[in-house]
Amino acid sequence: MENEGIAVPASWYDGISAIRHEGSARWQRGELVLETVDGAITSVAPDDLTFAETQPDRIVYRRRSAPDFRLYLPRDLPPAFASHLPEGREYGGWIDRIGLGKAAIAFAAVSAAAVALFLTAPDWLGPRIPETWERNLGQAMVGDFGGRLCSTPKGDAALAKLLDRVDPGDPQVKAGIANIDMVNAVALPGAQVLLFDGLVQQAESPEELAGVLGHEVGHVRERHVMTALLRQFGFSILLSGANSGLGDTAFGLAQMGYSRDAEREADQYARARMAESEISPLGAASFFERMAEKYGDSDDTLFGWVASHPSAGERARLYRNAARENAPYPPVLTDAEFEALKTMCADDPDVEEFEFF
Amino acid sequence: MEETADAGAGGRADDPHSAFGFTGSWREFAPIAFSNLLLTIVTLGVYRFWATARERRYLWSRSRFVDERLEWAGTGLELFIGFVIVLLLFGGPYFIVSFGAQALIARGYEALGLALLAGSIVIIFYLAGVARFRALRYRLSRTRWRGIRGGSDDNGFVFGLSYMWKTAVGWIPAGLLIPWSMTSLWNERWNAMSFGPYRFVSKADSAPVFLRFLLFYLAPIALVVGGGIAAVMGALAGQGIGGDEGGMIGGAIGIIGMVIALYLGLGLIAVAFYAAFYREVVGKTRWHDLEFSFEARTKDWVKLLVGDVVLVVITLGIGLIFLGYRHWKFFMTHLEARGEILLDDLTQSTTATARHGEGLLDAFDMGAI
Repeated sequence: MENEGIAVPASWYDGISAIRHEGSARWQRGELVLETVDGAITSVAPDDLTFAETQPDRIVYRRRSAPDFRLYLPRDLPPAFASHLPEGREYGGWIDRIGLGKAAIAFAAVSAAAVALFLTAPDWLGPRIPETWERNLGQAMVGDFGGRLCSTPKGDAALAKLLDRVDPGDPQVKAGIANIDMVNAVALPGAQVLLFDGLVQQAESPEELAGVLGHEVGHVRERHVMTALLRQFGFSILLSGANSGLGDTAFGLAQMGYSRDAEREADQYARARMAESEISPLGAASFFERMAEKYGDSDDTLFGWVASHPSAGERARLYRNAARENAPYPPVLTDAEFEALKTMCADDPDVEEFEFF
Repeated sequence: MEETADAGAGGRADDPHSAFGFTGSWREFAPIAFSNLLLTIVTLGVYRFWATARERRYLWSRSRFVDERLEWAGTGLELFIGFVIVLLLFGGPYFIVSFGAQALIARGYEALGLALLAGSIVIIFYLAGVARFRALRYRLSRTRWRGIRGGSDDNGFVFGLSYMWKTAVGWIPAGLLIPWSMTSLWNERWNAMSFGPYRFVSKADSAPVFLRFLLFYLAPIALVVGGGIAAVMGALAGQGIGGDEGGMIGGAIGIIGMVIALYLGLGLIAVAFYAAFYREVVGKTRWHDLEFSFEARTKDWVKLLVGDVVLVVITLGIGLIFLGYRHWKFFMTHLEARGEILLDDLTQSTTATARHGEGLLDAFDMGAI
């Protein structure tokens, strides 16, 4: 080796005791020879040596074969001596190899792609998840709500009749009336929709209920539930490092609702089914008119079912415009059937309270 | 050869008479902090494990104990692996439990569902204790001084139980036993640790810090009574100046002043308590023939914390990346040791080393000391 013999001052610890060894280091027959002032010699093979860190006055090396061994060499080494030493590292393997600037740009590009994929995934992945999977998932998440859905023979029959008119699909969406005194309705994972008893009580016609039911069925049929589930799950991962479970999501959905476009789609679905089934959209229109009156016709009402929905006034107009003129619609339910729906929760002797909403 | 190292006492960051010194500068640290910030952002946070290792490598290498600098031997990769292990071991089960609990509640088994959730909270509480233990063990095992490291053969699982019951007992009598639970847990943790061949011995006592702790109970009363009097006086003065309306304004100003004083007062008491607590616990910790002390007074802590706030506010948050540096410097500047070390007897630690970093701790986001 051409540079054999160049000796530089060195100090080292053997990793066994805390005694500092002072002496010199030189390359000899391809090995780094450390010699103390007393003449004691330690030889280190070059591939045994690893770089640890650079300090203001010295460079620190370690040994693979003795993890706690530490060698300190001065920073101003002769180039011929330094050329056999392992290269320095600063940021970590890949980044040192390609440089900080390039690495930062590469990472940023990969990250941007990952974020874009992550944010758009619900929209293209949601509709592609088989409906049977969603049903199973919903079954696992919310089951059948124990005994908390209202049920009477007449009420069930009326609800089934209403559902048949707005959901011609097979298998049908499951619909129920939940014993909750709120003006609200939700579409849940597993092709389930719930009308809250509070909404049923304030309804002035069965056509209103058909409109709301059709809207929630629309969310299920247009796969908004799965999309929202994926989105919420994604955000919970993003925000809390995967600490938030999917379990929180089922009812988070009921609170969070869907995008405005999804709401419009669900409304369109409801209007299309109502037109097919000869149900007057004027009931739904008057429902939204009452909502607009009650909560104001603004875009960002804070309360209940209308939150995150398009403005109630605009929706009322769309439903009203959908009505055909000069041709009376047949009533969707008889008065007795409508009454059976209204009294369903009061007449069910063993319905339980929902306590977690 | 009988080498001895004498540890003295001092005050400044790099006082040559002090056993501990710090020679870093924020200008030298800034490139590390900013490149860490950049890489952490562009990797959506994944780089933070490597950033932590780089930051510690710098801080440790600029810290001197007697006549040799410290060295941080931990790597970003092991921290990352620790994080992934925690995610798999605990994130998965936690996910299943919260999913299961929600499903049970939806089906009408509220009690069972809530019990499942409560159970998972107890387990998290337990793991928080284990994590605090393991963080200290990890840091000692990755610290080199003269090629020697520290560590512990204890895995911290028993400490986790102590952490649970001592913390609970500390809170039960209206929080009065918190100083006891804190000092007792400090002792338990440090008594399980060693550096080289010698164990740490900690005999901290809660009695010396208890009086400061009582301020938490007395100060709010004093402040509310005093503040109430000030508010009434303000109201009367206001009424003198501007009639009834002036009285309302005067009273409102008095009450606002009282609330501010209450916040500042409680903050100050917390700082005073922590200052006393660290003087006590570090002062009662020994390592072989070495006695430690922590010299920071309440005013030093106040200066540190006010400095933190000012730095973060005037830099619009960027100063956050310098807080680790500031806190380490504060710690090294005020830490002192007295005694003698026989270097001949100081041999390598035989404790098992944790192969993967602070995963548990990282998951729960806590400090080590």
